[in-house]
Amino acid sequence: MGDVVLSIRDLHKIYPGGVHAVRGVSFDVSKGESVAVIGSSGSGKSTVLRCINRLIEPTEGAIELRGEQINTPGANVNEVRSRIGMVFQSFELFSHLKVLDNVTLGLRHVRGMSKSEAEAVALEVLERVDMLERSEAYPGNLSGGQKQRVAIARALAMKPEVILFDEPTSALDPELIGSVLETIRGLADEGMTMVIVTHEINFARDVADRIVYLDKGKVAEEGPSSIINQPKTERLQKFLSSMHEENV
Amino acid sequence: MNSASPGIERIFSWSSLDPKSRVVLLVSILLICSIPHSSGQETITGWNEAESWTENDLNAAVIHGEIVWVFGDFGTVRFSEDSGATWQNHTNLGDVHLISADSYENSMAVLSSDGIIYMKDSFESEWITIDSSQTGMKSIALAGEESLIIVGNEGAIWHYTGQTWWNRTTSFTENLHDVDFNGDEDGLAVGNGGTILATDNGGTTWDYREAPDPESSIVSVSYFNTYRMFAISNSGQIIYSTSPGGFEWQLREIESAGYNTTLATNLSSIDVVSSSRILFTGPDGYLGLSLDQGLNVERNILPVGVNPSFNDHAMFDYVVGIVVGDSGVILFTDRAGENEDIGFQIPDYNNFGEFVEYADEMLLAGFIATVKIVIFGIMFGFVIGVILAMLKTAPTSFKNLLERFSTSQIKGFGAICSVFALWLIYSGMSRFPELQLNGIEYIFTPVGDPRGFAMFGLGIAIFVISIQFIFADEKLTGPLFKIRPLNSLATVYTDFFRNTPLIVQFMFIHFGLRLGMRIQQVLEGTLGDPGIDGLDYFFYGDRTFLSAIFTLGLNSGAYQCETIRGAIAAIPTGQMEAWRSIGLTYMGTMRLVIMPQAIRICIPPIGNEMVNLVLNSSLAMVIGYSELSRQGKLMIATTFQIFSAWGLVMVSYFVVTWTLALLLRRLEEKTKIPGLGISGGA
Repeated sequence: MGDVVLSIRDLHKIYPGGVHAVRGVSFDVSKGESVAVIGSSGSGKSTVLRCINRLIEPTEGAIELRGEQINTPGANVNEVRSRIGMVFQSFELFSHLKVLDNVTLGLRHVRGMSKSEAEAVALEVLERVDMLERSEAYPGNLSGGQKQRVAIARALAMKPEVILFDEPTSALDPELIGSVLETIRGLADEGMTMVIVTHEINFARDVADRIVYLDKGKVAEEGPSSIINQPKTERLQKFLSSMHEENV
Repeated sequence: MNSASPGIERIFSWSSLDPKSRVVLLVSILLICSIPHSSGQETITGWNEAESWTENDLNAAVIHGEIVWVFGDFGTVRFSEDSGATWQNHTNLGDVHLISADSYENSMAVLSSDGIIYMKDSFESEWITIDSSQTGMKSIALAGEESLIIVGNEGAIWHYTGQTWWNRTTSFTENLHDVDFNGDEDGLAVGNGGTILATDNGGTTWDYREAPDPESSIVSVSYFNTYRMFAISNSGQIIYSTSPGGFEWQLREIESAGYNTTLATNLSSIDVVSSSRILFTGPDGYLGLSLDQGLNVERNILPVGVNPSFNDHAMFDYVVGIVVGDSGVILFTDRAGENEDIGFQIPDYNNFGEFVEYADEMLLAGFIATVKIVIFGIMFGFVIGVILAMLKTAPTSFKNLLERFSTSQIKGFGAICSVFALWLIYSGMSRFPELQLNGIEYIFTPVGDPRGFAMFGLGIAIFVISIQFIFADEKLTGPLFKIRPLNSLATVYTDFFRNTPLIVQFMFIHFGLRLGMRIQQVLEGTLGDPGIDGLDYFFYGDRTFLSAIFTLGLNSGAYQCETIRGAIAAIPTGQMEAWRSIGLTYMGTMRLVIMPQAIRICIPPIGNEMVNLVLNSSLAMVIGYSELSRQGKLMIATTFQIFSAWGLVMVSYFVVTWTLALLLRRLEEKTKIPGLGISGGA
């Protein structure tokens, strides 16, 4: 594999209530690689993801972006975040702004672009996610799939080094999932570095270069996407069969 | 909130109004502006205008029995049977100008400009024509039913008696203007060059009388009785004689004209209607009345739109009569034309109209004062509310603030603080022995040295805090470091203002802190003396105003803070996470994302707060600010109309709050975002 973009070393997170959600997770993400993080509810997937861009402060462990540790008190958290895009389960679009403004706001206020520059970039990424024709709509008037694609465009516009997806399709109706997954697949084909937390096992198998299976806050199994078909550990087998039953 | 958020437009804009509303708005403004200002000291005219049915100049008026006649140019004759209120046509007396008329018991005579005299015995009888064959005659007088005197240019006096004309012209040949008889023996004729001629034998012989001013042109004379003879010159002089036979004449020094001998206006005719009451007419719409034989002459107010040259009076008695003038003007009066005072009466405030006339200005002043503090109070309160809400939701704890310092720095700071605290405790305690209150059991004694107790207490507090600094570990886990100082500050503020009565806050801030006075002094120092009007005065001329807006703003801010905080809490945390994950700062996220949504959510409850603020502004009366309620109280102090005063005040408050509510409703509609929140409708 190529250069390591993101490296997670022995990550621990103990919530104030005493819940030990993450117990020593480590994995690397190389440039152009897409890593799918799977696991049952409460296994610490989302916590790991949020620790990466420091929405949650890890209790212990190191997170390195291009070899540089970013979870020290001295690190500029806003600068780090602007290099890591994130897409949320519930979209989190700004409902008082039009689609175009949702995308340009980060460019203008974080990157310091002028309005016209930002709009040029925004229109470009909106075209990539096939949302160009709805650029003047308010989020309230969009379907769930459209909202999620706008959220992806918003993350893309910042030209991040890595994008984190936090269960991007969980809040969508089954018939809307396809378009979002198609968009993510397109990004993977373009060589975007991604960490995807997902429940879509088939999607993970098709798109991800590597699978990380988390169970009870630890990495239970890790390997290429083929491990979905030939799981080595019993726990992953159980998890996959329960997912299969759900889907049936 | 910011330029990037769409949907916020101006609440009111002229261009968004449809033409109908614009017209309505403009017309209402015009109507309000055109309401005439009423003052309590007005006078109105004592004259009424009558319809004469002619545009010809009217030269003479005479009373014949119960009927009043007027005569004018082109043979115009009109008569009235009801003292001049309504007039009827009479056949013209030829195409001549009728210039003078007189009556004597049953006889009436009219002189025309070509010397023909028309006479009548009664209303029913025909006109009798007598030709004098003279031209340039000016005036006619009857000295008995069958005896006529006419006077005119170059001193001409002709006497018609016994069906024959006699020339009575004297050696004085100045032009004569007027002749008047008292009874059938005594008469006076006046003219240019101060000419006064008198007769005591019915006009057979005339004697010269010396005028006080030989230059004056005497245009009219009135022979009221043996002791009352008055005449006027055309330059406004009044001359009079009180000697029987009119041997001595004097020039009146007119008191109302500053003891001048002239009225400073041209005069054309005099009419003495009682032993003291004199009426004057003149060109340029002059009608005058003296109630004291010409000592004081007051100009009469004329009915609106009437301003002709007046020529003659005819009075039934000393109050009822008419005056005639050019262009067919006839005015009638039943008070001798005296101006009528309608002011200086004791107002009857039970009459709602009179109450309003007294109270409207006070009410308006109160209304403006209330609107003034409300506007500034709302702005101030909203700013404070937003700031407090941001402080309350700020996540910054002591831990965040101190993280950048090393542990040894924090420990060192703690050590310094603890030394300072110990010094405070020591010096505080050292003051106790002076009070003879040695021993710890006196610590709660409510007498003594408050400064000592304060130092002692503060020392203990600082010591407790500094100990936590000294024992801080690397992760700053102590309870002190979980405290969010901004939040605590805002909480103390809101708790204080929400748990004390507003009326006490008003009095504390105005009389206790004297905030208004201090601000005023600072502004005076930098901006200069506010004076008593203008923009300076508007902003800081009134120290109660300054205190009032600060109290209202501080108080309302505490309540608005909680409302806005609730709205911020209603925004999903994901919104903050999403924006932060893009890399914007906390404040940037608040400004660009959270507040624009939160403010929209809290418009209805904030509206509630603002309405409350308007109503609470009535409490500003306790510090003497003249807002609506105080004005209401003052109105009652004068008028005792409790129902009306408080009623009007209440309506005024309703107008303010209701307008505010409408504006907020409109703001809510204007800033509505599709898909945000449940609002009913599309």
